Amino acid sequence: MPTSFFTGTDYALSLPMILLSLFGLGVLIIDLMLPAEWKRWNAITALIGLGFSTAAVMRIQLGHFADGRPLVGSFAYLSNVGGQVVGSVLMDGFSIYFFYLFLLGAAIAILMSAHYLEIEHEHHGEFYALILFSVVGMMCMASGYDLVLLFIGLELMAISTYVLVGFLRRDKRSNEAALKYLLLGAFSSGIFAYGLSLLYGLSGSTNLQVIAQALQRHYSANPKDPIAIVAMITTATGLLFKVAAVPFHQWAPDAYEGAPTSVTGYMSVAVKSAAWAMLLRIFLWGLYPLRPVYLPLLVFVSVATMTVGNFAALSQNNLKRLLAYSSISHVGYMLLGLIASDNITNKTGIQGILVYLLVYTFMNLGAFAVVTSLRRRDIIGDEIDDIAGLYSKAPTEAVLMLLFLLSLAGIPPLAGFYGKYFIFLSLIQTQHYVLASLAVLYAVLGLYYYMRIGSAMFMRPATDPEPVAISPGMQVALAVTAIGTVGIGILPEFFIRAAGWSLGIQQAGTSLLGFLR
Amino acid sequence: MPQNYVPIFLFVAVVAIAIPATLMIGKLVRPNNPEKAKLMPYECGIDPVDNARGRYTVRFYIVAILFVVFDVETIFLFPWAVQYRALGLFGLVEMLVFLAILIVGYVWIWKKGALEWV
Amino acid sequence: MSTLNAYILTIVTFIPLGGAVLLALFPRRDRDLRVFALVVSLLAFVLSLHLPVHFARHHAGFQFEQDIQWITTPNIHYHLAIDGISMWLVLLTTFLTPLCVLISWKSVHDRVKEFFILMLLLETALIGVFVSLDLFLFYFFWEASLIPMALLIGVYGHERRVYAAVKFFLFTMIASVFMLAAILWLYAHVGSFQFADTQQWLRGHGTEIQGAAPWLFLGFFVAFAVKVPLFPLHTWLPDAHVEAPTAGSVLLAGVLLKMGTYGLLRFNVGLFPDEARHNASWIATLAIIGIIYGALVAMVQPNLKKLVAYSSVSHLGFVVLGIFSMTQAGQVGAVFVMLAHGVSTGALFMLVGIIHERRHTFEIAEFGGLATPMPIYATFFLIITLSSIGLPLLNGFVGEFLVLSGAFLAHPLWGILAATGVIWSACYMLWMYQRVFFGKVNHDVNLALPDLSLRERIALWPLAVAAFAMGVAPLIWINAVDPTVRNVLSIAAQFASQVVAR
Repeated sequence: MPTSFFTGTDYALSLPMILLSLFGLGVLIIDLMLPAEWKRWNAITALIGLGFSTAAVMRIQLGHFADGRPLVGSFAYLSNVGGQVVGSVLMDGFSIYFFYLFLLGAAIAILMSAHYLEIEHEHHGEFYALILFSVVGMMCMASGYDLVLLFIGLELMAISTYVLVGFLRRDKRSNEAALKYLLLGAFSSGIFAYGLSLLYGLSGSTNLQVIAQALQRHYSANPKDPIAIVAMITTATGLLFKVAAVPFHQWAPDAYEGAPTSVTGYMSVAVKSAAWAMLLRIFLWGLYPLRPVYLPLLVFVSVATMTVGNFAALSQNNLKRLLAYSSISHVGYMLLGLIASDNITNKTGIQGILVYLLVYTFMNLGAFAVVTSLRRRDIIGDEIDDIAGLYSKAPTEAVLMLLFLLSLAGIPPLAGFYGKYFIFLSLIQTQHYVLASLAVLYAVLGLYYYMRIGSAMFMRPATDPEPVAISPGMQVALAVTAIGTVGIGILPEFFIRAAGWSLGIQQAGTSLLGFLR
Repeated sequence: MPQNYVPIFLFVAVVAIAIPATLMIGKLVRPNNPEKAKLMPYECGIDPVDNARGRYTVRFYIVAILFVVFDVETIFLFPWAVQYRALGLFGLVEMLVFLAILIVGYVWIWKKGALEWV
Repeated sequence: MSTLNAYILTIVTFIPLGGAVLLALFPRRDRDLRVFALVVSLLAFVLSLHLPVHFARHHAGFQFEQDIQWITTPNIHYHLAIDGISMWLVLLTTFLTPLCVLISWKSVHDRVKEFFILMLLLETALIGVFVSLDLFLFYFFWEASLIPMALLIGVYGHERRVYAAVKFFLFTMIASVFMLAAILWLYAHVGSFQFADTQQWLRGHGTEIQGAAPWLFLGFFVAFAVKVPLFPLHTWLPDAHVEAPTAGSVLLAGVLLKMGTYGLLRFNVGLFPDEARHNASWIATLAIIGIIYGALVAMVQPNLKKLVAYSSVSHLGFVVLGIFSMTQAGQVGAVFVMLAHGVSTGALFMLVGIIHERRHTFEIAEFGGLATPMPIYATFFLIITLSSIGLPLLNGFVGEFLVLSGAFLAHPLWGILAATGVIWSACYMLWMYQRVFFGKVNHDVNLALPDLSLRERIALWPLAVAAFAMGVAPLIWINAVDPTVRNVLSIAAQFASQVVAR
C-alpha cells in the first residue's frame, strides 16, 4: 500500500480538470444569484474557467513536460499489477493536443451560445456548467490510460451532452433528439462496457498497457480465440457509435437536427474529438495486438460511413441535417487514416486525423456559428431556404460561410484541405490505392452538397427580409473560426508540427513556440 | 471449506425463523380492521391498474430521483469508513471534496425549487 | 536590379491580393473603388513588364527564381520561377486585368466592391498558377482560382448564372481531384513537391513506374483537359461564358483556359514525355475533333457570346494539337496561339459585352447594320474578327501557322484536318460579322445606339495594338519561348532515346 495517494504530479496533471469542475460548480451557484438580464456573466465566468484551465494545460506542457517524456499520473495506483506500477492517466503530447482542442471548441461554442439562448428564452447558467463538465469528461477520455477512467470520462461527457441536446425544453424536436440520443447512447455505453469487461477478463487489468501486453500473449497463442474477437468487436461498436460511424450513425442526424444549434456545433467538433481521442487510445494502445483483426472491420465501416454520409447528405434540405451527414462522412475519411497508419511504422495517417480534427473544429464550428446566427425571432433558420440570399442581407457572413463550406469540401487554400491531404497521403504511402481513389471520389461528391448551400446563399434571392443581427460574442466566434480556417490554410506549419509533436514525431520544445522549432 | 459457510447458514436459519415469527406476532397483537384500500399495493392512493395514458404530477419523479441521488451517494461513504485509517488524510480530504460537490448540488436544487411541493 | 529580380515574381503575384485586401477596407464609394482597382491592376502590369525586359532570352531554364521552405513536413516549398512560356502568360494576365476593370466600369453597379475584390483575387491566383514550381503550390493556386471565378459568374452573371457557376465549379473541381491524387502519389514516392526534383526522379525511375505512369499521366491530363476544354469535356464552357459578366468572360477565355494548356505543356509533356508520345495520337484526334466541332457549332449559333465561346473551343483545339504534335514548331505555335487567343478572344468578349450593355441581348437576329450607327465599334470588331480568323499580319496567323506546320510534320492527316478549322473559323466569324454589322438596320432601337465611349476605346486600343504587334513582330514573343520549348522537347527526346536504348 503506497504511502501517498495523490502526489504533486497527480495534482498538476489533474489541475485543468479540477479548475473546470470548480468553475462549473461556481457557475451553477452564481447563476442562482444573477437576475435574468445579467445571465451573460455566466458565459463570461465559464470563459474565464476555460482560460484558467488552458493555463494549467500550458503549465503541464511547458513545466512538467519539458523533456518530452510522457508523464504517467498514478492517481492512487488504481492498477498495481504484479509490482508493476501503472497509472491511470497518461499525460503525453497526444493528451495535451486534445486538451487544447476541447478547450478551443468549448470556448467557441460558449461564444456562439449566449445570444442564441436569449432568443430561445432558455438562457440558464446550467448550459455553461454542463459544457464545462463535459470538457472535464473529454479530458478524462483523452488522457485516460485506464478503462475505468476512460469510461467515467465518457459517461460524464455523454450525460452532460444529453442534457445539452434537450436544453430547449419547450421545443419538441429538442426533446425528441435528447431522448433518442439518451436511449441510443446508453445502449451503446452498455455494449462498450461489456467489451471493457471482457478485456478486463482477458487481461486481469484495466490498464491499457497491461491489456495490450496480455492481448499480445493471448493473440499469439491462439489467434482465432472468439473471446478476444468479441471483446474487440463490442468495444469497437461502442467507440464507433460515439464517433457516429455507419452502421452506428442513426442517432446523429436526429440529435444534430433537434439540438440547439450551438450545441450541435459543439457536439460535432468537441464531443466528436473526444470520442476520437478515446478511439485512438484504445485502438492504438490497448487493442493494438488485435490490429490484423480489426483492420478489415474498419475498412468496411469506413467505406460504409463515407458512402452513407455523402449520399444521404446529397438530398437534405435542412442545414443542420446536411451538416450532420457531412460530419458522418468526415468520420469516414478519418477512419481511413487509422486504417493506413498504425502509429509505429507509419504515423502520417494518425497525424492526419489529429490535423483533421483541429481544422474541423474551426471550420465546422464556423459553419454552425453562421447557422446559429440565422436564428431570429420567429424564424428557426435551419433550412436551406432560410440561408438563401444571405449574401444580399449579410455579405460578410455569407463570405465566411462560403469559406467554411469550401474548407469542409477540402479546397486547398483553406484549412480543410490539409486534413484530407494527410489522410490521402497516408493511404498512398501504405499503398491503399483503392481506398485512396474511393476517398477522392467521395470528396468530390461532398463538394456538390456544400455547393448547394453556397449557391443558395449567393445566387438565390432572400426568402424573408428579416435582417441578420450578429451579437458581439458571435462576432468573436466567427472571427476566430475564420482566422483559423484561412490561417491554417495559408500557414499550416505550426499546426501540422503541433500534431506531429503530439505523436512524438517532432521533438518538444520548452517554450510556447516550442512547436515551431 | 464448508466450515467457512457456517455463519451464512446461521444467517439463513435466523431469517427463516425470524420473519414468520414477527408476522405471526403482529397478527396476534394488531387490531384487525380490513378495508379495500389496505389491500392495494400503494396506500398513497395510486391505482396500480389504470389507463396507461393517465397523468400524474412529474414531482413524484423529481422527488424520487433526488432521493435516489442523495441516498445512493451516501453509499460512497461506506468504503471510506471501512478503509478510514489506511486512507488517512487523503481520504478525509477526498471525502470532503465529494461532500462539497454534493452540497453544491443540494443548494442548487433547493434554490431551483425542486424541493417545494406545489 | 538583382535584388528586385529575386522578389519580382512574389511582388507581381501578390500585389493584386494586397489590393484586394485594401479594397475590402475601403468605404463603399463605387467610383473610388473602381479607380483603386484600376491603379492596382495597372501597377501589377507595370511591374510585370520587368520580366520581359530583364529576361535572358536565350536561356532555357527558369529565371527570377525564389525558393523558400514553406512547410517542412510535408516538404513544401514556396518556389516561384518563370521560363519563356510562363512569362508571357503572366504578362497576358496582368495585361488583361486592367482592361477588364475598365470594361466593367459601368456594367457592374451592384456590389462593386466585391466584384473588384474577386477580380483581383482571381488575378493573384492566375499569376500564381503560372509562376509556381512546386506541385503543391501549383495545386494551391489552381484551386484558388476556381472560387473567385465561380463567384464572378454566379453572382454577377446573367439569367442562368447559378446553373452555369455550379456546373463550372463541379466540372473543374472534379477533374482537378485526379490531379491531386497524382501529385500525392508522386510526393509519396519522390519525397518532394518540387517540379525539378519530380522530373529528375521520374527520369531516373522509368522502369519502376511503368505501371503507374499511364495513370499519373491521365490524372494530370483529365484536370487540364477539362480546363482547356478538350472536346468531350467542353460542355461547361459555353454555359459559363454566356452567363458570365464581361470581365469574367475575358479572364475565363483569356487566361483561365490557358491554365489547362499550360499544365499540359509543363506537366504532362514535361514530366511524362514518354507517356505524352504514346498518347499523342488520340489526344491529337480529340483536339482535331474539337477544332472542327467547335467551329461547326459556332457557325450555327444564334447567340453572339455562345459563338465566341465555341470559337474558343476550336482555337484551344489548335493549342492542344500543337502541344501533342511533339514538334518544336507545333509547341512554339501552341504557346503563341495561347497568347494570341488571349488577346483576340478577350477583345471579342469585351466587344460583345459592350453591345450587350447597350441592347441587353446577345441574339444576332436582334442586330444588323450596326456599322451605320457605330462605325468605330464596327472597325474594332473587324480588326479583332480578322485577327481571330488568322489573317496574316495579325496575331492569329502566326500561331496557327506554326501549329499547322508542326501538325503536318507529326502526321500529315492531322495537318490537313486541322487546316480546315481555319477555313471554318473564317466562315463563322465573317458570316457573323456580316449579319451583325452589314445590311440595313432592321431594328429601330439599333439606330440610336451610341458609339464607343472614350473609356471603351481606351480599353480596346491596347488589344488592337497587341493584335497588330504580335502579327508583325512575333519574334519578340517567340524568341523567349523557343529555347524553353526546345528544352522541353530535348528532355522528351532524351527520355525517348533512353527508353529505346533499354
